[in-house]
Amino acid sequence: MNDFLIVKDLSCEINSSVILDKLSFSIRNKGEIISFLGPSGVGKTTLIRCIAGLEKISSGEIVMNGSLYSTKINSIEPEKRNMALSFQENCLFPNKTVLENIDIGFSRKKKPLKLTKNNLINLFNLSEIVSKYPHEISSGEIQRAQILRALISNPDLLLLDEPFSNIDQDQREELQTNLKRVLKDNNIPTIIVTHDINEAFYMSDKCGVLIKNSIVQFDTPYNIHHYPNSKEVMQFISRGSLIKVKVLDKETVFHEKLGKIKGNFITAPKIDSTVKLLIQPEDITHDTRSKLKLKICDRKFRGTNFIYYLKLNANEAIPVSVQSHNCEPCNINDELGIKLPIFINHLVFF
Amino acid sequence: MSTQFYLKKFNALYFSVFILSLLILSPFLSIFISLFGEVTEYFFIIKDRLFELYLFNTIILVVSVVFITFILGTFSAFLVSFYEFPGCRFFKWALILSFAVPSYIYGYAFTAFFENYGTAYSIVSFFHNSESVNAYIPKFNGMFGAIISLSFSLYVYVYIFSRSTFTNQSSEIIETSRIFGLSTGSFFLKVLIPLSRPAIITGLSLVAMETLSDFGTVYFFNIPTFTTAIYDSWMGFDDTTTANLLSAFLLIIILIFFTTEKFSRKKSSYYDRKLSNKNLKKNINLHGWASFFAFSFCFLLFFLSFIFPFLQMLYWSFKFPEYFFIYNFFELNLNLLKLIFLSLTLIILVSFFVNYALRILNSNFLNSVSSLSIIGYAVPGLIISIALMSFLSFTSDYFNVNLRNAFIGSITGLVLGYFLRFYSVSFLGIQSNYLKIDKKVDESSYLLGFSKFKTFRLIHLPYFKKPTLLISILLVIEIIKELPITLVMRPFNFETFATKAYSFASQDLLEATAVPSLSIIVWATIFIIFTFKFSDSDK
Repeated sequence: MNDFLIVKDLSCEINSSVILDKLSFSIRNKGEIISFLGPSGVGKTTLIRCIAGLEKISSGEIVMNGSLYSTKINSIEPEKRNMALSFQENCLFPNKTVLENIDIGFSRKKKPLKLTKNNLINLFNLSEIVSKYPHEISSGEIQRAQILRALISNPDLLLLDEPFSNIDQDQREELQTNLKRVLKDNNIPTIIVTHDINEAFYMSDKCGVLIKNSIVQFDTPYNIHHYPNSKEVMQFISRGSLIKVKVLDKETVFHEKLGKIKGNFITAPKIDSTVKLLIQPEDITHDTRSKLKLKICDRKFRGTNFIYYLKLNANEAIPVSVQSHNCEPCNINDELGIKLPIFINHLVFF
Repeated sequence: MSTQFYLKKFNALYFSVFILSLLILSPFLSIFISLFGEVTEYFFIIKDRLFELYLFNTIILVVSVVFITFILGTFSAFLVSFYEFPGCRFFKWALILSFAVPSYIYGYAFTAFFENYGTAYSIVSFFHNSESVNAYIPKFNGMFGAIISLSFSLYVYVYIFSRSTFTNQSSEIIETSRIFGLSTGSFFLKVLIPLSRPAIITGLSLVAMETLSDFGTVYFFNIPTFTTAIYDSWMGFDDTTTANLLSAFLLIIILIFFTTEKFSRKKSSYYDRKLSNKNLKKNINLHGWASFFAFSFCFLLFFLSFIFPFLQMLYWSFKFPEYFFIYNFFELNLNLLKLIFLSLTLIILVSFFVNYALRILNSNFLNSVSSLSIIGYAVPGLIISIALMSFLSFTSDYFNVNLRNAFIGSITGLVLGYFLRFYSVSFLGIQSNYLKIDKKVDESSYLLGFSKFKTFRLIHLPYFKKPTLLISILLVIEIIKELPITLVMRPFNFETFATKAYSFASQDLLEATAVPSLSIIVWATIFIIFTFKFSDSDK
């Protein structure tokens, strides 16, 4: 069976500078949600603009439902694609109320949604502002109205550009939950671009990490989190540190201070070679009775847990996650014991 | 599913806008082309004997008017923007009403008041009945009269730009100045004026351009300047070559101010800060003598710039009612309405078409060409008329079609002249409002299934209702006051209030100018008040 959306070798140049460089990915089934993550300026927004037909592509092709939508020379016009895009900025029609804006999306739908218009308005907490004009409401409310206007048209493909960036933290999680449920219930394939890792991991079936105008990794959120395929991905998701180790055998590496570290390599390393091993906060276990105590050089409070950075030598420090309600918080320069020997389920190295 | 080609960079729309912009620009270019043509004997007479006089008079006029408008405009704006005193809120908008009085009408009123046995004499003799008082009443003819007339009708440009930038000053700047011990005068001269420099220069550049463009006032006061020379060489000596050459020279001077104004306007955006309500300054309440002085200054300015010419014309209208019947008042209004309707339709339709096309075509080249095509607002009406006629003659000869009869001395030609002169007002107004609509709004609309035309009809047009009304009102005010283009391009026996007032004034029948002048003031005032109602008075 053919994939629902195929983006193949897509490149885009704007004013002679390459914004996207040979991107390929696909959405296998309707109802699948994928996200693109990446730092600012890597072309995330350009990617969905290309898919929507708002930017001309310089090479490659976009195929949806078996039909060719974009190539270098041909393109279906945006208004004929039956896609919906919710922009990050305020793009509600300024001369229409929130309800009238939503109605424009509603009147466009070709097949009904499983929820009524009023249900959706309530679900997006918009019932009190439907009669207001865009300039009379907050940026968070504008963003919710924009998402709903796009969603309610029940498009063949929904594109969301930083959909929750202006929404208050207290409403964000609730809205994410509701949106995901509606998308899944109605089988609406969706592409989200965001720089918020947690948002992407929660919302999506698959994630793509865009770095330097290319997709560096396209995988499930779990794999991106645990098995980043490059230093760039690892640095972007800010998980863990790299330490220099020597490969002893197929399941053991050696570090001068931490001793032997056992685990399962994701890819086979060369025996006796020196590699950089990824240590993530949950890889190391805190142990007060351990003989190996390391000095804390930094501390991050994450609510449910602390992440302590333990100094190994002048250049290396490893993160350790400790539940915050189980023990007394330690301070910088205190010493923290870690459980030996270290076993890491998946050994990732570069 | 059908696949459509991308909107190609060079399509019919692209060429339509390009050719339209080029057509708008062509008459102006034809003036410069004349620089390379053969000159006549009359040109050498002007060059050797009169050129210095024109230049000297023009410089004196521009420098004096710029100086006076700077003082009147900035100081009145300072008073109403920083202080509270009786009538302050009224003066904020009332001081703009002088915009309703064209400088040539101010000149008629000014002369009428001070002339031999004029209104001033009537007032004085009412209290002291003696013929000898006439000798003591000063006579303001010539250069002084022109300077005063132009200054009182043009200071409003400086006032509007200064007030806009003064209103946006933060309370911190005022408080910091106080902490450093600056007096009110020092604050005004050392802090406020330098801080508002770009906006003030913009206003002064517009004043300079209007002064250079003026024809009615200098012609009435008999001051030989470039505009009168252009008119004389063309109407008097039928020498279009010399008229073109003088126009080209004047255009070069105006372009310097035009560039200055553009540059200052760009720069002023860096000076103008967007302030939250919290940071907006609080006006200081004036009491006692200070309050009396502020009130007196603003009242005197309002009185001299608006009430005085209005009352003078009203007084004459009642004093000499016989003149009311020498022309068909109804016909003059009808002519004006005809011109307004045709001009507005043409100007606004073209402005919308070009702006919308530029928005969807997104071409830097087209943007540049269309930016050049709005030069009209800097070009004197007289030069526009000459440019248009030269262009029509050239096109007629070159293509062997008689465009002269179709356009010269016809309503069509007159409307085309207005179009060239005022196109920029509408173009820039629509452009600035288009900039307020994010292009992503259009993109959202396309993605919601709206075609480009439907987007224009359902999203843009409703948004433009109010701005279009505002632009139309501004255009109407300009058309009501316009004199030189109407004078040159009008059909035989076709009159407007402006041409009627001019023709009486040139026959030295000043009393007869009252009714048409008063009509211009009243119509323009009504529309200015409308404008004020539709735009935020404090911005």
